[in-house]
Amino acid sequence: MRWFETPNFDFNGSRKIAYAISGILFVASLVAIFVQGLQYGIDFKGGKEIVLDFEQPVSVVDLRSELAEPLGNAPEIKLFGSESEVLIRTDNESPISEVQDIITSNIQSLYPDNPFSVEKTDVISARFAEDLKWGALQAVIYAIVIIFIYILIRFRNWTFSAGAVAALVHDVVIVLGLFTILSNHVPFSLQIDQAIIAAFLTIVGYSLNDTVVVFDRIRENSNVHKGMDFMPMVNKSLNDTLSRTVITSLTTLFVVAVLFIFGGEVLKGFSFALLIGIVLGTYSSLFVASALVVELEKRTTKSK
Amino acid sequence: MQGNGFKIGSIVAFLALTIYYLYPTIQWSLEQNYMDELSPSETAQYREENREKLQSLRENTLSLGLDLQGGMHVTLEVGVPQLVRELAGDNADELLNDVISVASTRAFENDTDFIDEMVAEFESRDPNARLSRYYRNDAMDITRRSTNEEIATFLKTQRQSALDRAVEIIRTRVDRYGVTEPSILKQGNNRIVVELPGVEDKERVRNLLKGTARLEFRLAADADAFRSFVDQVYQYYDNTQQATDTTGQAQFNPLTEVLIPAQNPYLVGYATADDTARVMELLNTEDIQRMVPRNTTMMWSANPLPGQGGQDLYQLIGVRTQVELTGDVIEAASVQFDPATNIPEVSMTMNSDGARTWGRITGANIGKPVAIVLDGYVFSYPNVQTKISNGRSSITGLDGVEEAEDLVNILLSGALPAPLDILEERTVGATLGAESIQAGLNSILVGLGIVTIFMIVYYRTGGGIADLALILNIIFILGILAAFKATLTLPGIAGIVLTIGMAVDANVLIFDRIREEQRTGKTIKAAIEAGYANAMSAIIDANVTTFFVGIILFSFGVGPIKGFAVTLMAGIAASLFSAIVITRVVVDYLIQAKHKAVSFG
Repeated sequence: MRWFETPNFDFNGSRKIAYAISGILFVASLVAIFVQGLQYGIDFKGGKEIVLDFEQPVSVVDLRSELAEPLGNAPEIKLFGSESEVLIRTDNESPISEVQDIITSNIQSLYPDNPFSVEKTDVISARFAEDLKWGALQAVIYAIVIIFIYILIRFRNWTFSAGAVAALVHDVVIVLGLFTILSNHVPFSLQIDQAIIAAFLTIVGYSLNDTVVVFDRIRENSNVHKGMDFMPMVNKSLNDTLSRTVITSLTTLFVVAVLFIFGGEVLKGFSFALLIGIVLGTYSSLFVASALVVELEKRTTKSK
Repeated sequence: MQGNGFKIGSIVAFLALTIYYLYPTIQWSLEQNYMDELSPSETAQYREENREKLQSLRENTLSLGLDLQGGMHVTLEVGVPQLVRELAGDNADELLNDVISVASTRAFENDTDFIDEMVAEFESRDPNARLSRYYRNDAMDITRRSTNEEIATFLKTQRQSALDRAVEIIRTRVDRYGVTEPSILKQGNNRIVVELPGVEDKERVRNLLKGTARLEFRLAADADAFRSFVDQVYQYYDNTQQATDTTGQAQFNPLTEVLIPAQNPYLVGYATADDTARVMELLNTEDIQRMVPRNTTMMWSANPLPGQGGQDLYQLIGVRTQVELTGDVIEAASVQFDPATNIPEVSMTMNSDGARTWGRITGANIGKPVAIVLDGYVFSYPNVQTKISNGRSSITGLDGVEEAEDLVNILLSGALPAPLDILEERTVGATLGAESIQAGLNSILVGLGIVTIFMIVYYRTGGGIADLALILNIIFILGILAAFKATLTLPGIAGIVLTIGMAVDANVLIFDRIREEQRTGKTIKAAIEAGYANAMSAIIDANVTTFFVGIILFSFGVGPIKGFAVTLMAGIAASLFSAIVITRVVVDYLIQAKHKAVSFG
């Protein structure tokens, strides 16, 4: 079976459309992030989270009204994977044992015939949350800096570094934006926590993988076809590697979709981030990274 | 086949290593299956007979993270500001307290070292002042002339030793509590990460970890002076009420709303647990604080008395501020049962110094109460009957046997050098852990199935060879994890699943390249040669960058994220090897030795 045997798409010609699409998504994401704010999870916000497993299905609305007063500060309550599992998040500052007692006694009076067990508890102090947030931010920044330097060393051309990093920022910002926009419209948690940061860095690594393969081909082609103009050569390189880009994206997408479906509730947000990240990463290495290199090259040769 | 000797050798070597490292894990799960079939008594006997063997297997097996097997993960922080304040002892003054509190806020905000901030803050107030005035210590060679730099070094050594001691103390406590395979690690210069698999009673463990068990023996407040103070307090609130209430409505005293007056001259009154905070608020006003007799303070009782209407009431007791004896003098402690009521209590024996002081105190205060205070709460305040000269004392009023046992544990493991704060606590129940393992396994199997089928359909024989490499790849990853004694977490499993999708990438690159080379008219052999050679730089660049991401995740991530980073990196290393070396050997073998036409679809 062969797909894209000798493709000859005009990626550079469609550049303008790609700019429009990316531009709109990028700006919309930034707006969403600034207007709505990032939806931090417990890791970065601090607080207490308890997951309860009931014997029979429960009503989130009833639980919310039952617990709102004793816990104060309107606790967040949502289903966790099934109708009989709920996650309760609260900013109540009492020690966790007291909070758990409040929750247990109130729920027992609400559902006297529906016993439950505590599946999971997380308590993060505000101070520790700050540390985690700072660590995550550092990780993302270091990742971008190191990637910039590595590509600069390997390809000896800053426009490649800039193109790759711009594509990464593009990917991460749009995924963040989608997370913010979708957070209240999907039946699973899309809060930004440590696992999501790990997913972001994986997206960064993955998207980069694609980009680097294309760059590698540009480097090779520029040695083989010395007389060729830069723009058509980039286009040829994109076409040469298209089959590989699509196949790898597909296999990765398969497994991430599997993870999303079968991986359990704990990994839902993580695999969802990967799912959109891979699609975006593939798109950005085809339409954003190389296009930017072309733009930058055009400018620098003109100015010379 | 020439030239492949080294490759085949390395494949065999890697496989052998992997099997060597995974052997204990396989053996361990076989043993567990075997033990599951035995009856409980037989299991116990079998465990006893094979203890050493099981122990060594267990230590070398690929361990599961707490998110998979259930348990408790706690990050504790040593209260360095409190430690620094306490080291100054009686030398501490308002200036030092203020410097410490400013420095601790700043260290937190700027993510800097507290001790450095403290020295800087101290010097900014008076560049010529010396911290040595607070920390003179002949044993540590700290004199009045020591520079602030020397003091900073001294404080940092003290912090290090406080951390070391805290780790030791926690290890002792956890061991006595009986957790299998606990992990207690230092993190940074003031944190401790404790992992306790399979812990059920979280509240007990929390108290055990944090328990400073600061045991104090204090004399009760002077009865007459305290009585008149208490009367003044009630009157004060009566008066303020009359002053503000001019409407002539029914009398209402804000204090008696929450505190029931008592007859006992050493008590301020009784309150329910919910009201204690309000009572303290009313008593901590400036006016009231001015009335408090010298050397006197008020403390709540640790346990309630059953009150009317089923309400449990706590007593607010007047005691001296001076501490007569501390827990340091306790030499032995054990759980005893009151012969009359069979209620558990902790009986303690003091060392000779302590016994002498205790004898003196009890001798001088016959007929008066002595308060036994633990972590700021009065456990009991018995009246002294006779002089106690054998250094015996006991803590009564405990909640049950477990509390008594834990208290003995904490008293004997020693007092923590500084208070510990729980910064982070995560617990996962065993059921959720088991569900996560199942979900992870399902994902691996389904993901593997889809990818292998796709590869065969798309690349034919080549795809089949890549599939073989992929399966070996997963085994290699597990081997690498076992060899580095890494822990498999749920994000780690996600990393493996992701690797399944990405590991074939190197083969996709190679096979696509081979197809391209074939199109230029090369023979299959030449196409394979060129395909592997030309795909190499792309494969290396792409994987090195992803590997960097793994390193960064590993350095900055905590807990489960580290597990993800480890599998990601192990996956990259293993997939490079299997995709480049293993597939090449198989392809060469099929073409040269078997003269088969290898199809790349």
